[in-house]
Amino acid sequence: MLSSGFPVLDEATGGGWPLGSLVELLSPASAGLSLLLPSLIRLSRRERWLAWVNPPWIPNAPALAARGMALAPLLWVKSGGAEGRWAVEQLLRSGGCPMVLYWPGRILPAQLRRLQLAAERGGASAVLFRPLEAAGESSTAALRLRLERVEKGLRVRVLKRRGGWHGAEVVVPCFG
Amino acid sequence: MLWLGWYFPRLPLEIFGAVDESIPLAVSRRWEGKERIDRCNGAARRRGIAAGMLLSRALERTPELVVRARDAEREREALEALGGWAWRYSSRITFDPLLVLLEVGGSLRLFGGVEAMLERMEGELTRLGHRGYWAVAPTPAAAALLARVAPGRRIHHPRALEAALEPVPMERFTRNAELLELMRQTGLRTIGDCLRLPRPELARRVGPRPALLLDRLLGRAPDPRPLWRPSARFRRRLQLAAEVEHAGALRFPARRLLESLAAFLRGRDGLVQRLEWTLEHRRHPPTRFRVGAAQPTRDPDRLLQLLQLRLERLCLPAPVIELELTVPRWHPFEAGGEDLFRAAGKEGERLLERLRTRLGAEAVRGMALRADPRPERAWRFCAPGGASTPSPSPHPAQRRQPLWLLPRPRRLRQRDGLPLHGGALRLEPRCQRIQTGWWEGEEVDRDYYRAVNPAGERLWIYRDRKSGDWFLHGFFD
Repeated sequence: MLSSGFPVLDEATGGGWPLGSLVELLSPASAGLSLLLPSLIRLSRRERWLAWVNPPWIPNAPALAARGMALAPLLWVKSGGAEGRWAVEQLLRSGGCPMVLYWPGRILPAQLRRLQLAAERGGASAVLFRPLEAAGESSTAALRLRLERVEKGLRVRVLKRRGGWHGAEVVVPCFG
Repeated sequence: MLWLGWYFPRLPLEIFGAVDESIPLAVSRRWEGKERIDRCNGAARRRGIAAGMLLSRALERTPELVVRARDAEREREALEALGGWAWRYSSRITFDPLLVLLEVGGSLRLFGGVEAMLERMEGELTRLGHRGYWAVAPTPAAAALLARVAPGRRIHHPRALEAALEPVPMERFTRNAELLELMRQTGLRTIGDCLRLPRPELARRVGPRPALLLDRLLGRAPDPRPLWRPSARFRRRLQLAAEVEHAGALRFPARRLLESLAAFLRGRDGLVQRLEWTLEHRRHPPTRFRVGAAQPTRDPDRLLQLLQLRLERLCLPAPVIELELTVPRWHPFEAGGEDLFRAAGKEGERLLERLRTRLGAEAVRGMALRADPRPERAWRFCAPGGASTPSPSPHPAQRRQPLWLLPRPRRLRQRDGLPLHGGALRLEPRCQRIQTGWWEGEEVDRDYYRAVNPAGERLWIYRDRKSGDWFLHGFFD
């Protein structure tokens, strides 16, 4: 597990972000980047890529750097559909990219399984930003969180976690 | 002098790999004539186990509970390994039970202040599989005490120390039962009670030793402590909470040992090329093997990959109960030996090559900063791995900017001079003004605001001060 940097979230998820598996962040509008920020900042100081595949907008590099993230490992990959899935699979499998952020659009359970295998093989975490409707689909993700923007940050509901009880709900004081 | 105390109350569990919270784990020790639960992890607590419980009762209640006797020897080893980690931050290190104390007055500047240093340390500890609680104080004894009773306290001046320590009950200050009883009888319940007495009177009531300890706590008497010197050899064991039958399952504990090695090496600015692994089995001689890297390194991911290649070919003669990593020799780090991404090596380069070949070079990019106050021009795409020319440092005001930018500002419709985006926007009062002169190219004069729309989206918008038009420029997460 990789600590999220937020004690309440670590508590609710049993330690933070699971390595070697998929994480799904479900929200109406691609929320959740600020939840990942402390771990991204920490990972950015190591000699590895941090990939952003098919992000909906431009990562604001100055804001990321001002918060302490090293930019050199940032890898921006603009590619949707099958090409995007292929890229994510390569990145996860390589072992050279501990975290892949991925905005997949529509993605099928069988395609998720493929990514899960790649993540296991490379010991990487794939964080998928998906719409709320995806909550109804089956998924191999080790951790599924439903996110909602509230005044004090993000309300996080644990829909699924490995080796623990789901259903925990916490408000994480994250901003970005 | 400024001391940072790190308290590791879970260390007795952590030496057995308690990070794996799916296994209920407890450590026991003997007190009041019976073997009792000393402490346990979250999985055990959720099954109704608590400190102080009789061991027999705990096992009756939760038969799957894994219990280990507290192991002072391993705790000392682990604490010393943490000393090796702390060595990077200070060369003045000393220990208390379950505590590492380091003098940080001299190194704060180097690490960008207390906040930055602590944030960094916290991140590293998580990776090492430890949970620690810290406090900062002008004396080592106070840093140790506060880390235990009031974690997160930062006392910089000796003058403030007395007030901070006054409410601490005596039983948190000493475990000496006789002394505590004596103090109880004389009505001394807190440190404050003792401090209010004239010193000769205190010494008369409870003896000179506690009075001296109090003086050391407050920095009124010197506190000579032997400073720790790290050993040159790295050796660390990890007993496994559950027996491991498949070599692949050693990945996780091995990773912890490698993180610990990386911390040891960073503290000494060293690299390694050859690691010695020992797998202990129950009733079977240990399995030993060496793993070598092509280049000296300290990257735990890379060392783990090498170990994994070895493990894949390995047949375990019996389940593994303990894992040991020894490094007999390490090399001093030489600049250029571990360039950024060279650690990812040829594999990392080939990965990029594959991506760019299939997706096109313009779809696989890095990002760098530009010295330009206009948000849309304060960054640029560059080759993956960072700009070849040095990048400017970010401006502190950019901390308040959102994590997401639109590719270009989008003009917003207005109603009664106020902007709309999915309904009426509620603007927060504080704004950031960004102005550039005509000599910097395109002239801008904008007031940026945070705004929330009825759907709860948090937007970053600005008003062009010349035209009065409103634009959407980014999203807060």
